[in-house]
Amino acid sequence: MAVLAAVAVTVASGSIGLAIHQSTKSRQLYYGRVTARGDLADTIGSVRADQQVPASLVPPKLAAEALTTTSPVTFYDASYSPQPVMWAAQYVDGNLVVAQYPMASEQRDLEALDRHTFYAAAGTVAVLVPLAAFGAEFAGRRLRRAARTAHRIAAGDLDARIGPRGRAGDEVHDLSRAVDSMADALQHRLRTEQRFTADVAHELRTPLAGLVAAAELLPDGEATELVRDRVRVLRSLTENLLEVSRLDAQVETADFVAVPLREFVGETVADIGFEVQLSIEGDPVVRTDPRRLDRILTNLLLNAHKHGRAPIELGVSGGVSGSVSSLTLTVRDHGPGFPPDILAEGPSRFRTGAPERGRGHGLGLTIALGQARVIGARLEFGDAVDGGAIARVTLPRIPDPTPDT
Amino acid sequence: MTSLLLVEDDEVIRIAVGRTLERYGFTVTTASDGLAGLDRFREAAPDLVLLDVMLPGLDGIGLCRRVRETSQVPILMMSARGDSLDVVGGLEAGADDYVVKPVDTSVLVARIRAVMRRAAVDPCADPAADRPAELVFGDVRIDPGGLEVTRAGRPVALTPTELRLLLELAAHPGVVLERHRLLRDVWDYRWQGGDSRVVDLCVARLRTKIGAERIETVRGFGYKLRR
Repeated sequence: MAVLAAVAVTVASGSIGLAIHQSTKSRQLYYGRVTARGDLADTIGSVRADQQVPASLVPPKLAAEALTTTSPVTFYDASYSPQPVMWAAQYVDGNLVVAQYPMASEQRDLEALDRHTFYAAAGTVAVLVPLAAFGAEFAGRRLRRAARTAHRIAAGDLDARIGPRGRAGDEVHDLSRAVDSMADALQHRLRTEQRFTADVAHELRTPLAGLVAAAELLPDGEATELVRDRVRVLRSLTENLLEVSRLDAQVETADFVAVPLREFVGETVADIGFEVQLSIEGDPVVRTDPRRLDRILTNLLLNAHKHGRAPIELGVSGGVSGSVSSLTLTVRDHGPGFPPDILAEGPSRFRTGAPERGRGHGLGLTIALGQARVIGARLEFGDAVDGGAIARVTLPRIPDPTPDT
Repeated sequence: MTSLLLVEDDEVIRIAVGRTLERYGFTVTTASDGLAGLDRFREAAPDLVLLDVMLPGLDGIGLCRRVRETSQVPILMMSARGDSLDVVGGLEAGADDYVVKPVDTSVLVARIRAVMRRAAVDPCADPAADRPAELVFGDVRIDPGGLEVTRAGRPVALTPTELRLLLELAAHPGVVLERHRLLRDVWDYRWQGGDSRVVDLCVARLRTKIGAERIETVRGFGYKLRR
């Protein structure tokens, strides 16, 4: 932008300077010719066939041109020494009569004019270019800022706003306001939806609490088992919905403590209710939020149990006690692997991939991903070369808190 | 036999949870609102109070505070919202722990038993009992045998949970104990359970009773008892 402005200003002042130069010069030459012709007439009238200028000095071009006509001819000799002159010549009775008019002062005037034009142009460029550069850069920066903010909103930062900058009424200002009000509207819509989901799940809790408690009172039997099973499903769906809406609202914060993984993972596997083959290298201790890590692992294991096939393996690898740099927990099954859309786009709620994968309600992986984000872990989904789904959780290194009270 | 008072306004939950707990061998008294709950508490003098946070009339937090005016009985709150301020209010008012509704009977019974264990601290089983007769931290004196705590010579009334927390900190003088470790050792939670706010708020209550300067906070980490 700034370069363009500089070139434009330079070209404009250059052309104006050139035009003035040309018109001044042609006016000077015209006056020079008229004066030289006048001098010639004077010379012819007064001296008559009297050669005043040595023939050797007469430019051959002038002499040749004078031969072709009986009228006076003129010739401007810019290289004549010591100063440029305007020649006038005419053959009178077979003799070439010439007159000279010195053009030195005109030449000096023209040079002075050029100089002034140059200074004026240079001054204009010096003032205008920085101004143009600043203006262009200012507008460009505001536009880039607007673009960055729009990207942040798209990436999920709903609080990002460009903010009121610049004069009201200029284009960038209008654009910024439009983007901001769009973000406000989107945020409002999204918050309303999130609140609705949270409210629904919350309102379901009280009747569900009664149902859970009442189902415990039923006499044992096949019918009771059926009811209890459905109550469990309903309950886990409600809890998961609440968890998803809390994660969506981005109000969750991690509570980091030093967790001995061998003991911790052992407890998670003991609670899961089906067989999991556990393998841990060494005795790693990692700073993380154990409740959230448990939610991640439990959901990955349940997903493997529902959609994959035994054996289900949980592996912990990498990392040294004390200064853990990267510690990876891997959940692997031996089923058909993740559906392609999960591999391509990651999990999305209420979508379990192929219909035959049916039985889940499709929130488990979404929750695992959301909780991983809260504890700063990376969660990746892939397929093993020899079949089966692999989910990999890479925990970050969280520095020990400084005991500064 | 452990007697408990259940204060819950939802009729189905009150009846079903009450009956279930009776099956587990508890003697259950129930009330459907805060003021009735306070009356029942005074009449029945239960070993434990299980109360809902949201109650008509006197709410759970208010009831908790009223009970604490006269009694150090274990109090377990039931909240429909584990993430809300209700929980913090209840813990500030003196509740020992909370559970989130809907709660599995097994979880509820485990919580009741954990808090009752704290109430029935057996001096012989306590590691602190092996120590010399008295532990002194500034003007606070702890008698691990008689389970008595005095501050500047005056006895301090502590709830069983507060006492267990103090004994745990006193057993490791000058050592920073992580909040999750305290959740495990005092509240009997495993890695997967427990809310560290329970520890924070119990420490806050303990501080008002034995002096704020006695317990040092190591931010983002835990607590230690200062001599």
